[in-house]
Amino acid sequence: MAPILKITGLDKYFGRLQVLRNINLEVNSQEVICIIGRSGSGKSTLLRCINFLEEPSAGEIEVDGLCVPAKLKGGERRKMVYDIRLRTGMVFQEFNLFPHMSVLANVMEGPVTVKKMDRTKAQQLAEKNLERVGLLMKKDEFPNRISGGQKQRVAIARALTMEPKVMLFDEPTSALDPELIGEVLAVMRNLANECMTMLVVTHEMGFAKDVADRLVVLHEGEIIEQGIPSEVFKKPSHPQTQALLERYRTG
Amino acid sequence: MSTEEHLAKEKPKKSQADLLYEAQVRSRRRFSLQVILSWIALLALLIFIFSGIEFSIGSFTVRTIDLDSDFIKENLAFIAGGAGQTILICVMSIILATFLALMAALGRLSKFAPIVALSSFYVSLIRGTPLYLQVFFFFLALPQLGIILPGLWAGVIALGLNYGAYMSEIFRAGLSSVGKGQREAAFALGMTSGQMMLRIVIPQALRFAIPPTGNEFIAMLKDSALVSATGFVHELMWRATKVGRAQFNNLEALIIAAVFYWIMTLIFSSLQSRLEAYMSRGER
Repeated sequence: MAPILKITGLDKYFGRLQVLRNINLEVNSQEVICIIGRSGSGKSTLLRCINFLEEPSAGEIEVDGLCVPAKLKGGERRKMVYDIRLRTGMVFQEFNLFPHMSVLANVMEGPVTVKKMDRTKAQQLAEKNLERVGLLMKKDEFPNRISGGQKQRVAIARALTMEPKVMLFDEPTSALDPELIGEVLAVMRNLANECMTMLVVTHEMGFAKDVADRLVVLHEGEIIEQGIPSEVFKKPSHPQTQALLERYRTG
Repeated sequence: MSTEEHLAKEKPKKSQADLLYEAQVRSRRRFSLQVILSWIALLALLIFIFSGIEFSIGSFTVRTIDLDSDFIKENLAFIAGGAGQTILICVMSIILATFLALMAALGRLSKFAPIVALSSFYVSLIRGTPLYLQVFFFFLALPQLGIILPGLWAGVIALGLNYGAYMSEIFRAGLSSVGKGQREAAFALGMTSGQMMLRIVIPQALRFAIPPTGNEFIAMLKDSALVSATGFVHELMWRATKVGRAQFNNLEALIIAAVFYWIMTLIFSSLQSRLEAYMSRGER
């Protein structure tokens, strides 16, 4: 089966600083991949290059058969980037809910504005996805009236409502108080069980170990190791992975 | 609840914290009462200065300023009639200014160089010249080119252009108050730049910009007096100077106008602070 997401030869520079070096990664449909690494290793940048929130400097991103080379420019590229974004859903560390809209309006915004979906249909879809994250009862609240964990679950529902092929999670629990992390991870676990394809940048090693099908370790912009989580945890082959996992084991 | 029962039983006894808090509230109240009373005293003094009362302290006779009450009675209604024009000019000007300010602020963010240049050029030109000059320009200079604007429109255009340039900074601050994360979330959903601005950024920027726009409106109420200088718009200031000069009662005429400006400012300021309180409710 062809991979649903394929990253080929991806380089990314910020000014003169190279933050991603020749990243090659294939993600199969329904696979859950956790990307770990120290801060500054380029894991968030890698995720953000996939939906072009960051411009890749070189290489290719292919999502569900649509391939966008970094060197492509102009209107054709813009059109393709919008298509890539329709195929991917993203969840941010800082939630980024729209504060001037109710929870329901937040979740409906994508289908109504981007897909021009009929409002009643969009509302049904939005309510279905709020139900999925267990927050249908909060649909009329405004984002400032709900907890951080609830905000992140709404953000997940908002991304799901666009019915993406791949979900990208950029440190979804890093901005949360410790007691709120569990509810978000539970929602993500459910998604994994529902066979959603997911790429998760995370520091939650427990989650990575239990839920991920594959662990990808990034160090200084390079993939230094990848494999089945239990094996990587048991026998990290790269010294940097050992150091990274050691820290989590003791910390 | 047991704590409530507890409190009810021990009603007369207040804790140290309660007593301290009440003392704090009392002293705060006392202070604002003092401010209000001093205000009233100052107002009374001002009225007294213009009361025309004669009194003597020993052999020394003091006479306060005597206003011509007949003139006031005759011309009060005429001058007051200008208040409507003043408000009309300001409402139209603020609408124009808001539109221009939003355009100029968005223009600054454009990726198209001539648009960035156009908006910064506009702001620089207007802020670099006096409002008084701009008002005259639209009334007196344009007719030389064969462009004759009705008085009201020339005033509205001059004030609107001027305030638009200053208010563009407010809107710029409003637009930049919307975090990068909001734009990214919109893009991640697949929105175009236009949809992102219209649906996500501008509504939040407006919420930020509305209270300061109210302040600009209040400032404009007073700056609109400059429009009278050209003699074509019969607002408060024009009416006051017209009757004041004709009968050499400038003192009375200007005082009447001042009272109306002041009252209007007080009314709109209180509306403004209510609006501000309303807008800030439920912020993040």
